[in-house]
Amino acid sequence: MNAVPRRLTVLIGDDEPMIREVLREVLQAEPDLDVVAVAPDAAETVRLAERHAPAVVILDVRMPGGGAGAAREILRRSPGTRVMAFSAYGDTGIVAEMRRAGVADYLIKGVPNTEIVAAVRRLAATG
Amino acid sequence: MPDAELFDESGRSRGSGRGGPDPTGQHPAEQALRESEERFRLLVQSVVDYAIFMLDSDGRIASWNAGAQRIKGYTAAEAIGKHFSVFYPPEEVAADKPGRELKTAVVEGRLEDEGWRVRKDGTRFWANVVITPLFDETGRLRGFGKVTRDMTERRTAERALDERGRLLSRLVQAQETERRRIAWNVHEDTIQAMVAVGMRLQLLAGRLPGEHAPAMRRLNDAVDEAVSRLRGLTFRLHPPGIDRGGLVEGLSGYLDQMMGEAGLAYEFRHDLDREPPSEAAITVFRICQEALANVGKHARAKKVTVSLVSAGHGVLVRVADDGVGIGRPVDALVRPDHFGLIDMRERAETAGGWWRMHGQPGAGTTVEFWVPALAHGEGGPLL
Repeated sequence: MNAVPRRLTVLIGDDEPMIREVLREVLQAEPDLDVVAVAPDAAETVRLAERHAPAVVILDVRMPGGGAGAAREILRRSPGTRVMAFSAYGDTGIVAEMRRAGVADYLIKGVPNTEIVAAVRRLAATG
Repeated sequence: MPDAELFDESGRSRGSGRGGPDPTGQHPAEQALRESEERFRLLVQSVVDYAIFMLDSDGRIASWNAGAQRIKGYTAAEAIGKHFSVFYPPEEVAADKPGRELKTAVVEGRLEDEGWRVRKDGTRFWANVVITPLFDETGRLRGFGKVTRDMTERRTAERALDERGRLLSRLVQAQETERRRIAWNVHEDTIQAMVAVGMRLQLLAGRLPGEHAPAMRRLNDAVDEAVSRLRGLTFRLHPPGIDRGGLVEGLSGYLDQMMGEAGLAYEFRHDLDREPPSEAAITVFRICQEALANVGKHARAKKVTVSLVSAGHGVLVRVADDGVGIGRPVDALVRPDHFGLIDMRERAETAGGWWRMHGQPGAGTTVEFWVPALAHGEGGPLL
């Protein structure tokens, strides 16, 4: 028997339950991805990131306490993690602020599921 | 005060206002009267703070002074012979306000009015107007004397201090806050829910047998379209930029996005002394937004030019396109079913300013308006 390939661990932080749940299902449907936890707010996301040290954190930008501060904190506590922003907003100011905080990718909500999955794999591969 | 030196139209001195020796040998009393009349005529001609001029009995301009040229922008040669209704906004001409004012002046012996009047260049000023009928000894109407003063600055300053100005400022802010709240809710709630639906559909599509793929694709496209329309709505409700960067930056960002989507070229010129208070900025922005929406919907234009300049304690704005123009008089277009035009005019007038739209078939359309840009309570030094 071949060894089971290592699965890429993902943590989701989003305060919108509908998005959180569907995103978990979308990623979980991929054999190589493993959603280790979901968090409904920024503080919980940071806490779970420290505990699980996932390959990728998908972080909602506009949730309370979220944004650039949460991204920095995640990267400080789990330096091996890559953070991907997932946001309803795409203005250049916010995108630039997240990039400065160390966010590796920025996806606008509404992109096809395949793009989200591809972005997670890409980040994990370069992490 | 020293005697004023009086000048005729060619700039030659007409004396200092004191009588001298009589070179013509005329009767001294007659000559004194003639000189006095001449000096009086020159005095009227030289006054710059008031437009003082005569109309014939039909309302055509018969004389002109320096104040009239300064306030209204026409030279004497251009003005004399024109009917005085050229100074009235088109909607008031259509309602025969000039004719009614002359009739009232004849009946009542005097007419005083305040309202917007039109300069030669089409811009407007808030005028205080007094019309006095002139009768000869036999009681026959010989014409009218008309004295007009430009009260725009004074009115703007007063309105910035009075209760109405305060209420207006609050009203504009309240409306904007409400729009922001609606935009936020649509963005944070409705769009997110639609995005989640779209993601679920894609998930489901992957699990269904292949023959359902086209139907799922159409469903997914419909959801995408709904999301994009909702994003458009929130952008129009509350364009980002105006709170953060002010009027010019907000408008510039809006033009960039909307004109890009509409495939229109644009030019944006601005020369503002300073950032207008936020209610004025919002009013300017919202009227521009409506004017630009009309260009996109009706004008079939290739290019639109937006200009903002500081003028008379306010902002003068022009939105001009090179499209099909307007075939009907603006008043025929400003109907209850034409919310956009009514909304633009009402916004400008509520703010204490004016609005007009003009154009010709095939020669493009221009929306032009002015709104005061004094913050509430800022009127003091002008009064």
